Amino acid sequence: MENVIEVNALEKFFSKERALKNVSFSVKKGEIFGFLGPSGSGKTTTIKILTAQLKPTSGSTSVFGVPTHQLSKEKYRKKIGIVTDNTALYARLSVYDNLKLYCDLYDVPESRIYEVLSMVNLAGENKKIVSKLSRGMLQRITLARAFLHEPELLFLDEPTSALDPVNTKHIYEGLMRLKEKGTTIFLTTHDMNEAEILCDRVAFLNNGEIQLLDAPKKLRQQRSDASLTVELTDGRTIVLPKGPAGAQRLFDHMNANEIISVYSNQPTLGDIFVEVTGRNLV
Amino acid sequence: MTFSMKRVTAILQKDYKDISRNLYVTTTLVLPLIMAVIFGRDGKSTLELIYMIINMGLVLVGTYVQASLIAEEKEKNTLRGLMLSPASTLEIFLGKNLLSFIATAVIVTGSILLMNYNPGHVPAVVIALVLSAIFYLGLGTLIGLMTKSVVEASVIIVPVMFVFSFISFMKPFMEKYPILTFIEYLPNMQMLDLAAQAQAGTGFGDVGSNLLIIVGWVVFIHILAVYVYKKRMVEE
Repeated sequence: MENVIEVNALEKFFSKERALKNVSFSVKKGEIFGFLGPSGSGKTTTIKILTAQLKPTSGSTSVFGVPTHQLSKEKYRKKIGIVTDNTALYARLSVYDNLKLYCDLYDVPESRIYEVLSMVNLAGENKKIVSKLSRGMLQRITLARAFLHEPELLFLDEPTSALDPVNTKHIYEGLMRLKEKGTTIFLTTHDMNEAEILCDRVAFLNNGEIQLLDAPKKLRQQRSDASLTVELTDGRTIVLPKGPAGAQRLFDHMNANEIISVYSNQPTLGDIFVEVTGRNLV
Repeated sequence: MTFSMKRVTAILQKDYKDISRNLYVTTTLVLPLIMAVIFGRDGKSTLELIYMIINMGLVLVGTYVQASLIAEEKEKNTLRGLMLSPASTLEIFLGKNLLSFIATAVIVTGSILLMNYNPGHVPAVVIALVLSAIFYLGLGTLIGLMTKSVVEASVIIVPVMFVFSFISFMKPFMEKYPILTFIEYLPNMQMLDLAAQAQAGTGFGDVGSNLLIIVGWVVFIHILAVYVYKKRMVEE
């Protein structure tokens, strides 16, 4: 499968401070790639470099097979959608007028406005003035704007940070539909649950350095001791080791009808991040 | 890269809707007209006074409104959205300048009518005014790009307003202080000189050098504005 994004030995210094250190990865077509890390770890810097908003200090970056500094060309801009933490909407204009501008800029029919508003659970809100909307609604309009031209590659910087669980779920469904259509998504987040649900592969970024990169399932399996936690009807919680001894004890409890629930002791992505970096994802 | 008039008009329409709800800008548009009524109602104003009002209109609308529009786009990060869209630098510049240009043309024409000013050589004066408006728009774009906020742009506009509206009154000091001779080459002074010649009945041939100097300023300011814009597109 072809790589849509390729990054090799990327470094970025701001004055003498190193923001990115020897970062290398690639993102395949149709993949949702998660860039996970706490605030200040270099996630937004990476997105800015990949979207030609920021010059790297050294290393090479390419998107659609061309160096990122050539992305200002119209044909590449039409293939890319970007959602940053800054909503960047025209406050005095209505939701419709904000989206209409981008329909014209990307040469998309205005009828698409209603489709994207429905995608972000804002159908019927098109006449509202942007300055009167909540932060969560603004974030959803920014997402709708990025969906307008059905980009081949979508950069999402903390896309659900201001959303409630219902709208977050709605956005996840929208993103999964885009993935099914072949859209490649580069997602930065510090929400491990979001990464588990959406991402095919994740990279852990800490102090500007990638410390781990793989599929969430593989990362969990690699660090699992295959033991099980069992809740029993008498109120006890026991841990059963892997192997015949654990299996026999599980069988005995099941046979005696003493089990309420059984959990896998696989670590979460959050546990793994803390283990690898020694830091919490905040 | 293909040029799209649709993108230019999209930016123009957006600016029109945005400005019509911006009380700050709409009140600024009225100021030069009020000045024209106050200073020009007797119809006996000197050419210097008439061009002080005209230049004030050019600076307040062409430069200040344009600077505010650009500075606000920068401040709210919406300019970044335009930069990242398929719109080219030319399309964005044209789109962002058109509304201010139309407003400048309307306000300056209105001021001229209110002051009962009848230029001696209408085509030459109109060409010079159009070129001057394009220069002041470029200056506004440049100020907008170099400032961080609308408030900062409002502060910077004060000395600009002084230079381009009132500096003609310093002409008598040029003989005493030769260092001030550069004033003569400013676009507003060239405009005033052209208007004086036109009033004296000269033709296009005599004001050619004035027009050329103004064209030089237009080219210079727009090259500078595009350079700063390109620098702002990609952070270091």
